[in-house]
Amino acid sequence: MLRTSHVDLAIVGAGPAGLAAAVEAKRLGIKDLVVFERDERPGGILRQCIHAGFGLEKFNEELTGPEYANRYIKMAESSGIDISLDTTVLEIDKNRTLTVVGEKAGLRQVACKSVILAMGCRERPRGALGIPGTRPAGVFTAGHAQRLINVEGYMPGRTVVILGSGDIGLIMARRLTLEGAQVKAVAEILPYASGLVRNVVQCLQDFAIPLLLRHTVAEIHGDKRVEGVTLVQVDEQWNPVEGTGQFIECDTLLLSVGLIPENELSKAAGVAIDPKTGGPYVSDYFETSVEGFFSCGNVLHVNDVVDNVSLEGETAAYGAFHRIKGLPAERLTLAIEGNDTIGQIVPQRISGLRDTTFYIRVKRPMKKFVLRVGDRFEKKLPYARPSEMIWVKVPKDVLGDLRGSVTLRCEGK
Amino acid sequence: MGETGSPNPHCLGVYDVVVIGAGIVGAMIARELSKLEGRFALLEKEAFSCFGVSKAGLSQIHLPDFCPPGSLKGRLCKEAPTRFKALATDLDVAYREVGELWLAFEPEQVVDLEAARMRGEYHGAKGFEMIGPERIREIEPYVTPKAVAGLYARGVGVVYVPEWGFALVENAVQNGLHLHLQTSVSDIKKEKAFYRLVTSRGTITSKFLVNAAGIHADEIARMVGDREVRLDLRKGTMVIFDKAVSHLVHNMIYGTFSERHSQDIAPTAHGNLILGVHYVRPEHKEDRKVTRQDMLETVKLGRELVPALSEKDVINSFSGMLANNNQADNGDFYIAPSEHAPGMIHVLVGAPGLTAAPGIADHVVRLLRDQGMMKEEKRSFQKNRVGWPRFESASLLEKLRIITQNPKYGHVLCRCEHVTEGEIIEAVRRGADTMDGIKHLTRAGMGRCQGSFCGTPVLNCLVKELGVAPTWVTKKGVGSHQIVGYTKEAAMVQGSGEC
Repeated sequence: MLRTSHVDLAIVGAGPAGLAAAVEAKRLGIKDLVVFERDERPGGILRQCIHAGFGLEKFNEELTGPEYANRYIKMAESSGIDISLDTTVLEIDKNRTLTVVGEKAGLRQVACKSVILAMGCRERPRGALGIPGTRPAGVFTAGHAQRLINVEGYMPGRTVVILGSGDIGLIMARRLTLEGAQVKAVAEILPYASGLVRNVVQCLQDFAIPLLLRHTVAEIHGDKRVEGVTLVQVDEQWNPVEGTGQFIECDTLLLSVGLIPENELSKAAGVAIDPKTGGPYVSDYFETSVEGFFSCGNVLHVNDVVDNVSLEGETAAYGAFHRIKGLPAERLTLAIEGNDTIGQIVPQRISGLRDTTFYIRVKRPMKKFVLRVGDRFEKKLPYARPSEMIWVKVPKDVLGDLRGSVTLRCEGK
Repeated sequence: MGETGSPNPHCLGVYDVVVIGAGIVGAMIARELSKLEGRFALLEKEAFSCFGVSKAGLSQIHLPDFCPPGSLKGRLCKEAPTRFKALATDLDVAYREVGELWLAFEPEQVVDLEAARMRGEYHGAKGFEMIGPERIREIEPYVTPKAVAGLYARGVGVVYVPEWGFALVENAVQNGLHLHLQTSVSDIKKEKAFYRLVTSRGTITSKFLVNAAGIHADEIARMVGDREVRLDLRKGTMVIFDKAVSHLVHNMIYGTFSERHSQDIAPTAHGNLILGVHYVRPEHKEDRKVTRQDMLETVKLGRELVPALSEKDVINSFSGMLANNNQADNGDFYIAPSEHAPGMIHVLVGAPGLTAAPGIADHVVRLLRDQGMMKEEKRSFQKNRVGWPRFESASLLEKLRIITQNPKYGHVLCRCEHVTEGEIIEAVRRGADTMDGIKHLTRAGMGRCQGSFCGTPVLNCLVKELGVAPTWVTKKGVGSHQIVGYTKEAAMVQGSGEC
């Protein structure tokens, strides 16, 4: 039969969320923990993010992705954390037994008291978009192209159109330009960019790359390799406006059209998923609907900045620590709901026993508005856009005596 | 294969029979020929067998209840499920058995079901049951309440065509067949008792020819002077659903059929649901474009059968091509010797070409014999071909055994479908040398991320196993390069930035 070992805490994924969770769990005093990472190195997606802009919050300096990851890898090493590399978690059952496999690790099972899910997210592929046209080589997601260039040293193409203005797409527009490729346009179906403003400025405007808002790819051309795309303007319902089609010659189409938290393992374990975030419903301890399962980082909800992912890892570690040590169980009392101005909220329920940071995305762009939590708390904000996560910290006393549910809403323009 | 893989531009071989086209029909014929003594070759213009129209179908083995009495297709479909089941064992490939349920929505349509039953029974199929709404709900709880009656039969099946094409060809090669991939025929010349084929990679000589070129069979026919052969093409859109909705359908469910559509939803061999088919006229032969409208029309067909289906759960859509010929009446197959070229057999088949493929292969060999091909059965014919372990579908204990034998089976490269490095290396060693080849043989890149994570490791695996430069690797053969060169830094290390 399979070998089964026992640990207090198992962490799935050694990206920024998993590493931060591991370091914090160790600091809190969980000695018996293991991190499973399917890649040959820790660091997750940061390994291919060689641009700067990471760590301003956490380390007060501007780091590249690999530098940021290395800080945590060093901390993990110096506190003696066991990272099992080249190891894929195949399954987790409700009783927190993980089935893992690796070339060196073999096939084995690990039973644990708590598990932290930190698997990150994946990119929305072409198939899910239904872009019409042929199926040639040269259609990549932005992250796929980023790995080819930054990790492997391969050029995916020479003349490029990018669909979607997500952050990775914007970063890749600049990266490809610096490598001598010609980025002909970035098309965005929404009337505003999906990525951070600083990326629109630094990656497109600084290189005179046109950003075509309310545009999409109507067709991909080419049989063997991409030969071009037809871009078309869309109306408010995203229907093509007749007569606006333009053919753009290119050998590559990059897709930066959304990230999806990768929760297949969570779902198989019975963890309930919030359709708004695509991640688990969690408490303020980041515990999911299944006891002993915690979630953090981009598998919980897609973040804009990595520093926040690390903070979430720490919160999940704190939750797992409580669960393992058997400290007073905080079964939750207050459900957090959003009205139609709110796109998504994490956490979706709170204990009222600790201060809570709410991570929120608004549904539509807002200016000079007030964010209210029931009638107990309000915060004035200058602006908010769906592409930029906002967060508000609410002290525990403010909501601590409420029961049932409370509604978050934005009031203003 | 890449553009550099053409070692001999001149004579590629001299054969008794050359089969043009390694779609599922050509592959089946080639394997049948490999049972005989003689020199046989299979030519394919794509990088892999079944890369053309064959892979883009519903992949179902039907009962002959579609085929009119007295038709050739009906005769060739006889006992198809039984034959496929036996072949699945011999070739170590997947055949998933399901039932078929043909629905009637109006009392008047019950007559059509009766007619289908009679057609099926005429061709030797048994076990049809006429069932009412209650029984329908028992068998398929999610079927529309509008269904008033159904024709139900067990014992049909679904397959994954590229896997079958590969196994058939591999087994035929094991038995002496020569396979020429990425070899397209541009002209055929008659020279005494031989045909000389001019191809993209050199010339090939053969006594007999089989034209199994699918939607290009009319072009091949024209090369030998059979100018009257015409194909009438319809482009059909099909969609694949996420495994999350696989519980909605357990059998092949049919509704109505017309020039514009075939209403058919079924599980795939891999456990997704596949739905078709919405037909339109293609703009040209290579038109594989699927518009959003086509996709939505297809989903609409499915919702009439199973209302819970939604376009939100579509993970992929694609189009296939249905070819009817002008040589046979009533949309029947036309499989016959050429008018102008003795020793050449035209194989013009439409639906259900996959189902009929084993029957077609027998029939073609018979026709070749009538044309004078005197070949004895090969005593040494080896009917069994062995596949390789599939990590994802293996039980835990089997997984343990597989990994113990080869630790590379413990290295998961494709996270969505749990495909391991061991499987990918095996596929490369057996001839998959393109990204799509690996995808169709192992499923790496076929899951929900569609290769955005495993694309790079698969590329690197090809580079390592084949000993080629990464710029050589293609998606699906000549001209479909996956990458175009190196970054500035990597180029400095390599010495050159271009391919």
